[in-house]
Amino acid sequence: MKDETMTRPVLRIENLCKSFGTTPVVTDVSFDVHPSEVIVIIGSSGTGKSTLLQCLNLLHLPTSGKIFLEDQEITAPGVNQDRVRRQMGMVFQEFNLFNHLTVLGNVTVGMTRVLGMPVKDAEKKAMNELERVGMADHRHKYPAQLSGGQKQRVGIARALGMSPKVMLFDEPTSALDPELTGEVLAVMQKLAAEGMTMIIVSHEMGFAREAADRVIFMENGRIEEQGPPDRMFTRPESERTRKFLSIITTGKAEPPSGSLGQDTL
Amino acid sequence: MLQFLLPGLGVTVSVTLIALCLGGCIGALMAVFRVYGNPVIKGLAASYSVVVRAVPVVVIIFILFFVISAFIDLSPFMSGAIALGFASGAYQTEIFRGAILSIPRGQMTAARGIGMSRAKAIRCIILPQAFRVAIPSLINEVTLVLKDSSLVFVIGVPELMRRAQYASASTMEPLLAFGTAACFYIVLTLTLSKALEAVEKRFAIQF
Amino acid sequence: MKEFFAYAVMALPDLLQGTVVTLQLTAGALVIGLAIGLPLSLLRVYGPKLIQPFCTAYLTVFRGTPLLVQLFVVYYGLPEIGLSFSRMAAAFITLGCNSGAYQCEYFRGAIQAVSRDQMKAARAIGMSRFQGIRHIILPQALRLVIPAWSNELIAMVKYTAIVFLIAVPDLMNKAKILSSQNFAPIQTYVLVALIYLVLVGFLSLVLHGIQRKLAVPGLDAGMDGR
Repeated sequence: MKDETMTRPVLRIENLCKSFGTTPVVTDVSFDVHPSEVIVIIGSSGTGKSTLLQCLNLLHLPTSGKIFLEDQEITAPGVNQDRVRRQMGMVFQEFNLFNHLTVLGNVTVGMTRVLGMPVKDAEKKAMNELERVGMADHRHKYPAQLSGGQKQRVGIARALGMSPKVMLFDEPTSALDPELTGEVLAVMQKLAAEGMTMIIVSHEMGFAREAADRVIFMENGRIEEQGPPDRMFTRPESERTRKFLSIITTGKAEPPSGSLGQDTL
Repeated sequence: MLQFLLPGLGVTVSVTLIALCLGGCIGALMAVFRVYGNPVIKGLAASYSVVVRAVPVVVIIFILFFVISAFIDLSPFMSGAIALGFASGAYQTEIFRGAILSIPRGQMTAARGIGMSRAKAIRCIILPQAFRVAIPSLINEVTLVLKDSSLVFVIGVPELMRRAQYASASTMEPLLAFGTAACFYIVLTLTLSKALEAVEKRFAIQF
Repeated sequence: MKEFFAYAVMALPDLLQGTVVTLQLTAGALVIGLAIGLPLSLLRVYGPKLIQPFCTAYLTVFRGTPLLVQLFVVYYGLPEIGLSFSRMAAAFITLGCNSGAYQCEYFRGAIQAVSRDQMKAARAIGMSRFQGIRHIILPQALRLVIPAWSNELIAMVKYTAIVFLIAVPDLMNKAKILSSQNFAPIQTYVLVALIYLVLVGFLSLVLHGIQRKLAVPGLDAGMDGR
């Protein structure tokens, strides 16, 4: 783990709560994200991980609590949310590529329409990002002509094109056939090695173990435990973490203790 | 105003009903021809549907009105209803055809498998299912024919529009006359489609 | 048969003159309808709750009554309250407003057929709601709407056939004059039917060609109108 006292956090989350109607989904979550840090959030489904992630770039507005992007409080009233979102890349479980645009168009549309870049420059940058994810050869194809893994790599390139300060991954491999997850995880690992700040909601424990600087285990909308992966995976302090990890690693379900919360997304 | 228009309401509704029934018979028959017929019958049924749907309903009404009156002495009411039914038949052909084609092939195979003839399978297995599939489109067709029934105005059938025109001429209040007619149509289309949708829900079966 | 051809040759020039007017009416009605239908559909999907009843009222009136009633209300009725239109203007307004209501429903269907996740992804790269609608949702919706819109175009060619009842000099108007001059209603209207058949056939072919040209892989989901 990197030395937290030396660097200013890219993202600081303070007492974040989110409820839908009267159902609390995320409860009192606080943590800092430092430059180049890779955080993997794990936990059973329906424990508010995706909601938390979508709160970070304001796709869901937090019910209470504060989020700071560098020094700016983005949850303050009057903040331009669109401006906030262009500084954070998001990769979706279902890819959500723009169906009417080619691979190249998907990556450039944000640069030209949101950042106002000239088309030439945008295409040049887009080609760089597509090289990074190994999709440059497919630049003229439409999303419907790509495999799931290819779509997700384009999704990553689209987010990278906006030169984000932090990348958010919402279960990026969950919608993929097992044999296609490898190519996406490899791209993510490469990004991590290049120093990208990343927050990843994932069920890929192998990836978490290898690439994460910190693992956060969430349950019932709260952070149950967090720490560096070697400690989290070998000597978890919390009983619940231990239980969850044993289910995940042995594939054997123990009877759930208490309620698991409900699936909201 | 109402004493002018109310008699027209009955005429409009009866023209619509006759046309729908006639169109339904033609449509179901032509659809079966289009799907199951030999090439000649298929071609004839297809040309009927394609040609009639390419021509404005009012032109169909004129042609049939003049053709019919050249042979037999029929009231404009009946000629209009028949012409409207002939036109609706082409649209209903497509509705039934789509519905028949949406029934899985296995249904026919299974019917033949229990020893039904082709004709019997169509009549007892395919059509009843196709009819249920077609109901939403048929409900839509009801309101379309209801609105198209205003076109028999051109051959002098005393339906709502013709009545509204009398009213407009004798009261010198065209806005009121045609406005009232418009309200009648809105009430008719809304109640008809709502009522039929309720019926549909009642008889819906899960596939 | 020979007689019919002789009559056709005699009648065609007049009828074709009327056909030009029919096509002008169709084009005008579609443009007016587009100018009404597209913004109205956006209001229906994204607009505030407060104006929904007004949209619904407009749609109910124009979709729930025959075009003929609408035409007569506009041409004969509205002058009573000081709104007088020429025959041509009344035809354009009625057909246009009518088409607007139908086009609104086609556009609304197409917009709603675009997945909500597309908007989410657009917002995630920093687009505003408006930018998302303009650059992501509408381009897809406009492609999806093409089949329904093609049907509307064809339907409009046929719908214009009633404006002769307020003496607009379209194809039907010419036919009416010719048929009474020559006491040849059947021949005349069969000829008219043939002209409509050719028009509709030709337009269908062109529209199919355009649809094939504009097709984007994976975005040609069947969005048929009626």
